[in-house]
Amino acid sequence: MASVYIPVQGTEEEVRVALDHLPQDASDILDILKAEQAPLHLWLIIAREYFKQGKIEQFRQILEEGSGPEIDEYYAEVKYERIAILNALGAFHTFFGKAERAPQKEAHFKEATQYYNRASRIDETEPSTWIGKGQLCVAKGELQMASDSFKIVLDEDGDNFPALLGQASVYFLMGDVEQQHKKALECYRNSLDLYKRALRAYTDCPPAVRLGIAFCRYKLGQLDRARQAFERVLQLDPENVDALVALAIMDLQTNEASGIRRGMEKMGRAFEIYPYCTLALNHLANHYFFTGQHFVVEQLTETALSSSNHGLLKSQSYYNLARSYHSKGDIETAGRYYMASVKEINKPQDFVLPFVGLGQIHLKFGDYKRSLASFEKVLEVHPENCESLKAIGNIYTNLGENDKAIETFKKVTRIDPKDHQAFVELGELLVESDWAAAMEYLKTARSLLKKASEKIPVELLNGIGLLYFEKAEFELAEQSFKEALGDGIWVSMMDGSVGRSMVSWSVQYRDQTFFHQLEEQMLVELPCDKVTTLFNYARLLEELQDTVKASLLYRLIIFKYPDYIDAYLRLAAIAKGKNNIQLSIELIGDALKINSKYPNALSMLGSLELQSDENWLTAKERFRDAKDATGGKDPYSLLQLGNWNYFAANRPEKKASKFEATHREKAKELFLNVLKQNQSNMFAANGIGILHAEKAQWDIAKELFTQVHEAASGSIFVQVPDVWINLAHIYFAQGLFQQAVKTYQNCLRKFFYNTDATILLYLARTHYEAEQWQECRNSLLRAIHLAPSNYLLRFNVGVSMQKFSASTLQKTKRTADEVRATVSELENAIRVFSLLSVASTYHSHGFDERKIETHVEYCKHLLDAAKVHRDAAEQAEQQTKQRLEVTRQIALADEARRRAEEQRKFQLERRKQEDELKQVMQQEQHFERVKEQWKHSSNSAGKRKDRSKHDDEDGESGKRRRKGGKRRKDQKTKMQYEEEEEDQYRNEPEEDDYATMTVGDRSGKAPDHLLAAAGLEDSDAEDETGHPQSAIERKRRSAWSESDDDEPARRPAEPSPRADDPSE
Amino acid sequence: MKLAGLKSVDGAHEESIWAAAWAPAADHRPTALLLTGALDETVRAWRPDDLAAASPPARGHALGVLSLAAHPAGVIAAAVSLDSYIRVFDVDSGASVATLDAPPSEVWGVQFHPKGVALAAAGGGSGSVKLWDTEKWQPIASLPVPRPEGARPDKTGSGKFVLSVAWSPDGKLLACGSMDGTIAVYDAVRMKFLHHLEGHHMPVRSMVFSPVDPHVLFTGCDDSHIHIYDAKEKGLIGAMSGHASWVLSIDVSPDGMAVATGSSDRTVRLWDINARASVQTMSNHSDQVWAVAFRPPGGEGVRAGRLASASDDKSISLYDYS
Repeated sequence: MASVYIPVQGTEEEVRVALDHLPQDASDILDILKAEQAPLHLWLIIAREYFKQGKIEQFRQILEEGSGPEIDEYYAEVKYERIAILNALGAFHTFFGKAERAPQKEAHFKEATQYYNRASRIDETEPSTWIGKGQLCVAKGELQMASDSFKIVLDEDGDNFPALLGQASVYFLMGDVEQQHKKALECYRNSLDLYKRALRAYTDCPPAVRLGIAFCRYKLGQLDRARQAFERVLQLDPENVDALVALAIMDLQTNEASGIRRGMEKMGRAFEIYPYCTLALNHLANHYFFTGQHFVVEQLTETALSSSNHGLLKSQSYYNLARSYHSKGDIETAGRYYMASVKEINKPQDFVLPFVGLGQIHLKFGDYKRSLASFEKVLEVHPENCESLKAIGNIYTNLGENDKAIETFKKVTRIDPKDHQAFVELGELLVESDWAAAMEYLKTARSLLKKASEKIPVELLNGIGLLYFEKAEFELAEQSFKEALGDGIWVSMMDGSVGRSMVSWSVQYRDQTFFHQLEEQMLVELPCDKVTTLFNYARLLEELQDTVKASLLYRLIIFKYPDYIDAYLRLAAIAKGKNNIQLSIELIGDALKINSKYPNALSMLGSLELQSDENWLTAKERFRDAKDATGGKDPYSLLQLGNWNYFAANRPEKKASKFEATHREKAKELFLNVLKQNQSNMFAANGIGILHAEKAQWDIAKELFTQVHEAASGSIFVQVPDVWINLAHIYFAQGLFQQAVKTYQNCLRKFFYNTDATILLYLARTHYEAEQWQECRNSLLRAIHLAPSNYLLRFNVGVSMQKFSASTLQKTKRTADEVRATVSELENAIRVFSLLSVASTYHSHGFDERKIETHVEYCKHLLDAAKVHRDAAEQAEQQTKQRLEVTRQIALADEARRRAEEQRKFQLERRKQEDELKQVMQQEQHFERVKEQWKHSSNSAGKRKDRSKHDDEDGESGKRRRKGGKRRKDQKTKMQYEEEEEDQYRNEPEEDDYATMTVGDRSGKAPDHLLAAAGLEDSDAEDETGHPQSAIERKRRSAWSESDDDEPARRPAEPSPRADDPSE
Repeated sequence: MKLAGLKSVDGAHEESIWAAAWAPAADHRPTALLLTGALDETVRAWRPDDLAAASPPARGHALGVLSLAAHPAGVIAAAVSLDSYIRVFDVDSGASVATLDAPPSEVWGVQFHPKGVALAAAGGGSGSVKLWDTEKWQPIASLPVPRPEGARPDKTGSGKFVLSVAWSPDGKLLACGSMDGTIAVYDAVRMKFLHHLEGHHMPVRSMVFSPVDPHVLFTGCDDSHIHIYDAKEKGLIGAMSGHASWVLSIDVSPDGMAVATGSSDRTVRLWDINARASVQTMSNHSDQVWAVAFRPPGGEGVRAGRLASASDDKSISLYDYS
């Protein structure tokens, strides 16, 4: 038991003070010391003892008393002890100054400086004072001055141990501060030399000195020798925490599993020896963070924080804590600790990680400005840090600064051409503006991942699938989606192994019992990162017309994620497509239960109500709600309101025309509003076109429609058949029937698979106006075939046949076939009208029975007339036939005669030749005879011969004459026929006149009346009112489908959740 | 199970072809004949293997032929025209056998009883199925389609426009489909309404019973779906989608394994009934396919399965089904 003995003044006695029983109150001791005028070294011993016991106040009290002016006076000669006391106080303040924060720090240093100065005043050369000053300078960071102080001592005594250590540490610190690597190494080398000198000078020095050597070697990169040195320290002092920690860190740095294990063991041991070593605590916390033991992390870091005042270490501790909370998802707490961590750091170069964390937290909270600032700090230190660049890119994306975002991500791909994430982001950013580039980037990302044989993220494949989808490359899109989805319950749904039994509910979309049953048999899982892709896949299936499977997928989504509104809406749209309006409304109701302000659902409901005819007034409320829910920014709801107003203006109900005009005005205003927001909105342009068309401003309307028409022929997602129809209406109104017909036909074929009876009706009307009766009739028959229950079409077909007949009968020239056709058409017309007339007693299809009767009567009348015509025509035809027969016979006779003539000519010729020959022979004979006569002299025989020849000729002409007589007879019969025919002709025109008269009469005056009475005018009028109304209906319809189709297109633009992933 | 195109005849009619039916082989005629009817107001007959015209076109089907059905004996057939007359004629000579109508109602689809004893016709706006006996051609029954329970009153009156009829192969059930998607099933023996089949809400233009399971009914609808019902048990047992537009016609293969459908999306599809999946799509037509018909078995050397299709593009096509 150590004790000090204070000699009692004036006696030989001493007061024994047991050092481990020092009184709590230092005043007691002080009293004794002062009273007995005890030697100063005793004061020091006692104060030191207090210090050792952690009784800082008592220590200070004694030493401050011991350095007071009384003491100075009294012990003026005891120089060394007085210096020692002052230096002790100086060291004390230096120590606290180091530990404390400003402003106490400054105060302590000031005190320390004063004490050392006082010590110097007592004896300038005292080395311990210089050493103390040196240490103070080290504490204050004034390394050069510290070095100077130590040098003074060392110049005196080259082996002064504390000075050597001091100087060594100064060099070491200089090395740490030094920016240039070479100079830093020089410093470490100097430091190492000094440590070595210290060791040589004082071989029994505490093992801690060897730590210096070890650290220097470590810094100099001589890792093995550093390790040896640390191990040596541990041999001497197995509980040296610093050495343990250093060795542990070196082990950890090997980055091998065994090394890390060894390192952690050492860390653990260090922790057991001294549980307050911040460095060890931080490392341990770091380790447990990666092993996921967050509770341990928190405990360790809290200890570390309470046991250290070192800024950087504290910062690291806060960082560990923040990271732990961050990964647990408690981002608010994490954010606070990141902030604390950042506050401990003077400049980002020291420790940059908390800035990353902070940036991520801000990003998560949507505080993009501050997040951006944090990441930019990171970039100051690491300008090519891809993660931070990507984070910044994401921030720009969120801020809507796409150009900057693209630039940032492009920079990432330049720095690291293998960063697939950046390619993904670039792809997604370019989805809307540049299809090809987006595809290129996404594909690059995919091939990068494939090369690295990493799992390709769902979002990437989803994005590629959507791009293909957009370009209508459905097979490729399907491949992508399938790859993204991988294996799961949906696969068995697609191949039919699951879900075949669930047909009964493939109609009842709201019944989910099947999934409940399924869940009893097997695990029904749908990972949340795949929901969007599954939804898109279902959209694709819809596009591929496989609505049965699409609806299954939507219902799977709803089963697992009952809040996925869009799935309800798609089901509602499918139900609507199947005309199951009731179910559609119920499904929308389900959606609205989840979010009563969901604009898409409101819009859909409104559209359905507008169609149902009963609820068209409430539809307006829906549209208005939808508009309000989107803050009036959603063009779709504005369009719908516009359409509603237009619809209201055209309601057939009786109302003041004033309201009609206001509705139109309102509609126009709304459409213009949409155009103001989005200049390229085709639906609004179309709407305005319609309003112009209503006012017969054809040219403006045409211009608008033509532009929309051209603009619409791009994407598969925007289809505007209405604009074709409207354009055709304009052609029609301007009398360009040919073009109107063509446009209607193209529209029918392109958009409706030729199934739209209404457009066929427009087409028929155009043919009607163009007086193309047959085309008109056939168009109407096709329409009836498609829509058999539309009796208006039947009426119209009757009218068209009636008109055809009348017009045929008006013609001045017509064939019997035409007239026959007229008769049968009239019979058909009568059949159609009489069926309608009877049917109207059963149904109320809006026809006046009387009107139909008039039509029937008129047709019957026409038929009677036509029958006469037909008979006449048939007679005429008969006669024509006969006439033709006669002509044919004449022709035959002519032919025969011609042949006979030829024959005769031929014979004549032959005879002539024979005659000539004969003559020659005769002449010869004659000559012979003459010669004979000359011999016998006679002339009469020649004359006789001549006459006989003439006789021959006469006979021939007689024959000819007979023939001529025959011809005359022929001519006579022909004349007779002609006369008869002429009579026929004469009769006919008269009849014709009569017919044209009656027909003309009917189509002239009486028909007007008749037509009006028969509702012909009406039917036209109906057509007329029918056309714009159904055009707007169409508009609504396609607007509806537009909104549906818009969804997948918008989807890729949604930020992927990856950027916010905290554990990165 | 697949289809292979054998032959197509372009311009088989002068106008859109809307109906087709096979007249089975008869005692006097060893092979079946394909009958087609069109907007050009004619019915034409075609040889079964090369689609050569078998006889000159029969005219007089005013306003266009909507529907054709052949008597199972193969001697006579019935054609329905838009003028609402059913013209029963001799398949080979074209001679008229009877002309039927049921004023004031229109007539749409027709089907002969599988034994040929009766002719059923969809009665259009009358909201009923009309039946005639095939001996004296006298009307024997008119089966009204009751309004489904809880259905909303139909103001337009067009809802119950009956479009299609089908007999079950055993002759026990009769079904009809309407514009509003209602399907009514009748006990064809006792002439009694049984129940409705739910699921369609758009026009059901074509329906056919399975030849192997007399309860199973296949329906084609404007909602572009094909439904499979147990007509007896009132249950929907299958649904198939894939057509891009209305399903206009449906027929089932004689082996009962497949159905073929014609659609306004210009395609003919073949469906595997067991897999409930489309197995093939034929795109040879360029317009709506209004009729598909499997050749009935029987007759000389007709082992091979044949499917015929007829379209708005005025062409008919013949396929090998195997």
